[in-house]
This record gives sequence, C-alpha cells and structure tokens, in this order.
Amino acid sequence: MSDEGEGEGDGEEHENGVVDVDEYEDVWVFIEEHDGEVMSVSWELLAEARTLADELGDDLVALAIGEGLDDVAEQALERGADRVLVADDPVFEPYRADPYGEQFRAIVEERKPSIVLIGGTHTGRDFAGRVAVPAHAGLTADVTELGVDEDGLLEARRPAFGGNVLATILCEEHRPQMATIRPGVFEAADPDGEADGEIVEVDVVVEDDDCVSEVLEREVGDTADITEADRIVAVGHGIDGDLEPARQLADALDAEIAASRAAVDEGWVDGARQVGQTGKTVRPELYVAVGISGAVQHLEGMNKSETVVAINNDPNAPIFEHADYGIVADLFDACPDLAEELEGVTEPQEVVQ
Amino acid sequence: MSWTIVVGVKQVPDADEVGIDPDTGRLDRASAPAVMNGPDREALEAAFRIRDQAGGEVIAMSMGPPNATSVLEEAVAMGCDDAVLVSDRAFGGSDTWPTSLTLARTAEALDADVVVCGEETTDSSTGQVPPGIAAHNDWAQLTYAEAVDARPDENRLVARRDVEGGHEVVAADLPVVVAAAYGEFEPRPAPLHRKIYGENDFEPTVWDAEDLEIKDEVGLEVSPTSVGGMETVDPVERKGEVVDDVDDLAESIEEVVA
Ligand SMILES: Cc1cc2nc3c(=O)[nH]c(=O)nc-3n(C[C@H](O)[C@H](O)[C@H](O)COP(=O)(O)OP(=O)(O)OC[C@H]3O[C@@H](n4cnc5c(N)ncnc54)[C@H](O)[C@@H]3O)c2cc1C
Ligand SMILES: Cc1cc2nc3c(=O)[nH]c(=O)nc-3n(C[C@H](O)[C@H](O)[C@H](O)COP(=O)(O)OP(=O)(O)OC[C@H]3O[C@@H](n4cnc5c(N)ncnc54)[C@H](O)[C@@H]3O)c2cc1C
Repeated sequence: MSDEGEGEGDGEEHENGVVDVDEYEDVWVFIEEHDGEVMSVSWELLAEARTLADELGDDLVALAIGEGLDDVAEQALERGADRVLVADDPVFEPYRADPYGEQFRAIVEERKPSIVLIGGTHTGRDFAGRVAVPAHAGLTADVTELGVDEDGLLEARRPAFGGNVLATILCEEHRPQMATIRPGVFEAADPDGEADGEIVEVDVVVEDDDCVSEVLEREVGDTADITEADRIVAVGHGIDGDLEPARQLADALDAEIAASRAAVDEGWVDGARQVGQTGKTVRPELYVAVGISGAVQHLEGMNKSETVVAINNDPNAPIFEHADYGIVADLFDACPDLAEELEGVTEPQEVVQ
Repeated sequence: MSWTIVVGVKQVPDADEVGIDPDTGRLDRASAPAVMNGPDREALEAAFRIRDQAGGEVIAMSMGPPNATSVLEEAVAMGCDDAVLVSDRAFGGSDTWPTSLTLARTAEALDADVVVCGEETTDSSTGQVPPGIAAHNDWAQLTYAEAVDARPDENRLVARRDVEGGHEVVAADLPVVVAAAYGEFEPRPAPLHRKIYGENDFEPTVWDAEDLEIKDEVGLEVSPTSVGGMETVDPVERKGEVVDDVDDLAESIEEVVA
C-alpha cells in the first residue's frame, strides 16, 4: 500500500468519511450475552480495555444489547466498567444481525466512542460490519495484540496469510477504531465486587416490523470454554469418528477435549471446542494433538501452549516440528496405552462449562 | 420464479506456496501462484444448491486485477452460468469498506436475489466482506451457513447457522448475502461441457469503477484502515523430540503435569 493519503481533515469539509478524531473519546467493549449467559471473551476484552483506557485517560464503557440485562450490566460494573450502556428489548432476543447492527450503529453515531472492541465470535464477526459500514469506521479483524502509539492511535495487530505474518492495522482519520478480537488471547480479570459506575438505558431504535430476518429454531449445544483448560487432548481427522481412545487419555490426564476444524466439520466434536484461526486460542500447560496434521490454521490456536505432545502415524506430519514430544504411532494403540501409564498422575482440575 | 445468485470469488496467493524469502526474511507472496480462494469453491457449491432448489442463474463476480479472469474461468468451468470481473486501478489499496461497496454495487447491477460468499479468504481472512456487502445494500445476511434451503414461494432463504455452542435456523428476506461455512459444502464434480467451455471459450464481462458509478468511493482514500507494517512470525520454539515407545512419552508427560 502507498501512502499518498491526502488527509482532508480540516473544517467542515470532511470527505470520504474522514472525521475530526478529537470529537471521539472513550473505549467501548461489547458484552456479548445469549440468554443472560455472557461469553468469556467479553470479560477478557474488558480487562484488556481497562489498560487501554487508563493509558489514554479515557472512560471504559461496556455496551450490552439483549433482553433482561440488569445482571449483565451489574457484572460489567463489578469487572471494571465506568459506565454500562444497555439496549434492553425483546426484539434483541434471540440475536439477529440486522437489529443488533442497527442498534449498535445508532448508539455509536450518537455517542462517538474512539475505540470499540468486539469479541471475534461468530456473533461478533456477524454484526460488526453492519456497524462499521454505515459509520464508515475502520474495522480490524481477528486481533491478537492491542496497543496505543505515542499519538494515542490504536495499534491493532492481527495474523494474516494463515498466521505467517503479524500485520499492524491502523485507523487514522476515521472513527471509531473498531476491532474484533480472538477469544482466548487476553485473560479476564476477577470481578472486584465494587460496582460504582452508572447504568444508562439507551433508546431502542429498532422494531420487529423492520427486521429482515427471523430465527425459526435455536438449539444450544456444547458451550464448554476450552480457553481456560490446563490440559487439553485435541483430536483431528485421524480419529476417524472414534473419540474413545482420546477420551481415555483425557480422563487419565484430567484434560478437556478439543479438536481441529476437520474433526469439528465432520460433526465428531462441537464447534465450541475448535482450536485455531477460526476457533479458539488456548494456553494450557499440556496440549496433546491426536491425529492432527499441524496445518498453520490449527497451530495458530495452540501456539500459546506450554508443552505440546503429538501422536501421529505419519513421521512426516508437520505437527512433529511444532511439538516438544512426539510419537509415531497408531493413535488407537498409543492413546489407551498412554492412558494406562498415566492414570492418576494429575490432580483433578475444575471442569469449565 | 427464478433467482439470480451471485457468488463472490477472490483470487489469492496459493496458501501452500506463500513462503518466507530466505534473503530478506520477509513474506514472499508475489512469487506464489494466484489461485481461487479455497472457501469460495464451497460458496459456489452452496450457490449451485440454491439454483437446484429455486431455479435461476449463478453468476460469479470477482474484484481484482485483469489476471483474476482465471478464477472466473474456473468458476464457469465448475458450473456458473456467467461471470463478471470488476477491475480498475482506482481500487488499489482498498480495505474491506470499499471492497464490500464495490461488490455490493456489482450485485445490485446484476439484480441479485442472493449473494453467496466464502466464510473468509486464506490471505487477509477478515471475513468482513459478506456482512459488508449486506450492510452497504441494507440487505439481510446469513453468515456461517452450514445448509441452505431456498423458499421461492415465501421469497425467503433459510439457512442453518453455526452459532458456536449450538445451531440456529434463520429465515431471511431477499435479497440476502450468505457466507458459506467452510468445510460444509463439498464441491460437486464439474460437468464436462462446462469445463471445456470455461477453460477454452469463456470471457467474462469486465466492469470498471466508472461503470458502477463508484469512482470517488473506492481505493485508499476511502479506506478507514491501513496496514502499518507486517512482521513475519517466528515459529514457536519446540523441543521436537520424537520417541519410539509409549513409556518414554509417558515419562515426559509426567514431568510436565506432575
Ligand atoms: C480459512 C480457513 C480457516 C481454517 N481454520 C482452522 C482452524 O481454526 N482450526 C483448524 O484446526 N483448522 C483450520 N483450518 C483447516 C486446516 O487448514 C486443516 O485443514 C485442518 O486443521 C486439518 O485438520 P486435521 O489435522 O485434523 O486433519 P488432517 O490434515 O486430515 O490430518 C489428519 C492427521 O491424522 C493422522 N492420522 C490418520 N490416521 C491416524 C492414526 N490411525 N493414528 C495416528 N494418526 C493418524 C494423519 O497422518 C494426519 O496427519 C482452516 C482452513 C481455512 C482455509
Ligand atoms: C495483512 C493484511 C491485513 C488486512 N487486514 C484488514 C483489516 O483488518 N480490516 C480491513 O478492513 N481490511 C484489511 N485488509 C484489507 C483486505 O484484505 C481487503 O479489503 C480484501 O480485499 C478483502 O478482505 P478479505 O480478503 O479479508 O475478504 P473476506 O471478508 O475474508 O472474504 C470473504 C468472502 O468474500 C468474498 N470476497 C472477498 N473479497 C473479494 C473480491 N475481491 N472479489 C470477490 N469476492 C470477494 C469471497 O467470497 C470471500 O470468500 C488487510 C490486508 C492485508 C494485506
């Protein structure tokens, strides 16, 4: 990209969506909830955004959209928000892109935040563009690192080209500076019990009659949070539909089951347990990859693991180059054997659901 | 009743060939062959399934340099009825805002009832273009679609969506933008006559920014984001010890978890 931008920032004559950036302040975090259940990435972002807001001398504002949000708003205050904006209405339950996007856009245009962070979940990635496009905001995708430069500009870093590069994305003349952030890359802070910020009810601007979509059915499946697990046994396409050997190993290690995208796409494991570029980022002390080849998109999600173990029957599988310990073996033999040897080596860990 | 189904197809550097230049240590994407973005093959398959159900035409669109013609030829070879290349130097430096504007205007010009995209690309992988198209046109959207069910009599498209930790079935009014969940739409074998036609005789329609009346709304100038820098990522250092028997492996694991 060249740098021949003209920066038409002065006076009233703003072209191309360029705005007076000084009119925008505060750091916003979107609190994603479904049926009162908050996605953990929202609390991860709130903790990270507290640091950003302090650095910038801005307020930290949480934004929740849904129905019956009193508890959620209270929790956001206990977790450090200076203010919580809530758009509370039955039209928002269950989630749909069009009413969410429209409501979020209206609040952004009215209140002019400088930074808006949204969890990079399917929901967050679904509606973020419906805010950024009409607001002509910059929207950085799938961020894994955040910082501010000497001018207070947000530096959002994100992997690209299958994780081979880390690109720094800037948004200089448009506001807000929006970003979706990968689940699991930041750590949530514990609530401190104090909730002395204010809760502000915003005007609801959408009506059901204006909506262009309708949820006909919704089934909640497995909502396990693998990002907090200390030990993980992850299965890949090599298990061929049979989870039993991996389960035995996971039981012996008191580990959570996770999976590659290939295993998720086959329907063997639920999507909530997918590790990688389009799944979660995990950081366990032990990550055992069973029948996983080690594609870049998978490695991206497991790279923060302390120790990686690979079980694969192909000596040339790339996963061995990204593992601390490996064994070239049939997983259907190696997993039960290993499970037997390791029985009882760990203290039971808390089950995260 | 028949639908116009437009599919976004992007040309990207072959993911398996994008390497690190050993001399400069920088990402070398210029020398990688340009290919069709993998997830877009599945978008095409999703579009063909909608065509099977509702009838109508599937038209591929690509915004890219003149040589992106090759991915459109491939799309036609796979079974598209027609294809449009949207190409203009003015598009240079576009982020997802003007990219989705350009594709939104193209879809409008083609009178699309449905736009089908891939989940995300293998190069910049933002996944923002499909919702961006929907937002620019104020259309409905169905992302992470695992199955599609066209209902021409209701003028709606229904999709089963993966919502992480569950599924939902959502009906959307036309026009609608669908992003096909990667891994859910195995492309069908190409019919031989299309293959021959696409590879030998087909030429796409070419439109530029003027044709779409968006000359002043595209490119670097209107892009809110810019790439400030790119660093290559060093692989995480790992021990790489491969053992022969389970006992040794168990011992190493015990040291870690004990
Ligand atoms: C845009 C995009 C996003 C993606 N996002 C993700 C992501 O988030 N996460 C992700 O994981 N992938 C992702 N992928 C897919 C990724 O590129 C790979 O296709 C996927 O990771 C492969 O999964 P796998 O290793 O389980 O399967 P395979 O690559 O098929 O590997 C199976 C392995 O099992 C071994 N095996 C087979 N049988 C046995 C046996 N009996 N005993 C021992 N070993 C055996 C084989 O040797 C092989 O190495 C993405 C791809 C794209 C294009
Ligand atoms: C390293 C890097 C990082 C970047 N990060 C950002 C960022 O965070 N935010 C931002 O706004 N821009 C970003 N950009 C710019 C962005 O890459 C371009 O706007 C790009 O043309 C579209 O985004 P995508 O490839 O991510 O598409 P995605 O949204 O991932 O594509 C999804 C689907 O949309 C369709 N589609 C996408 N592009 C086309 C096309 N040209 N023609 C036809 N169909 C298409 C395809 O069906 C595709 O499967 C980045 C660029 C680079 C080089």
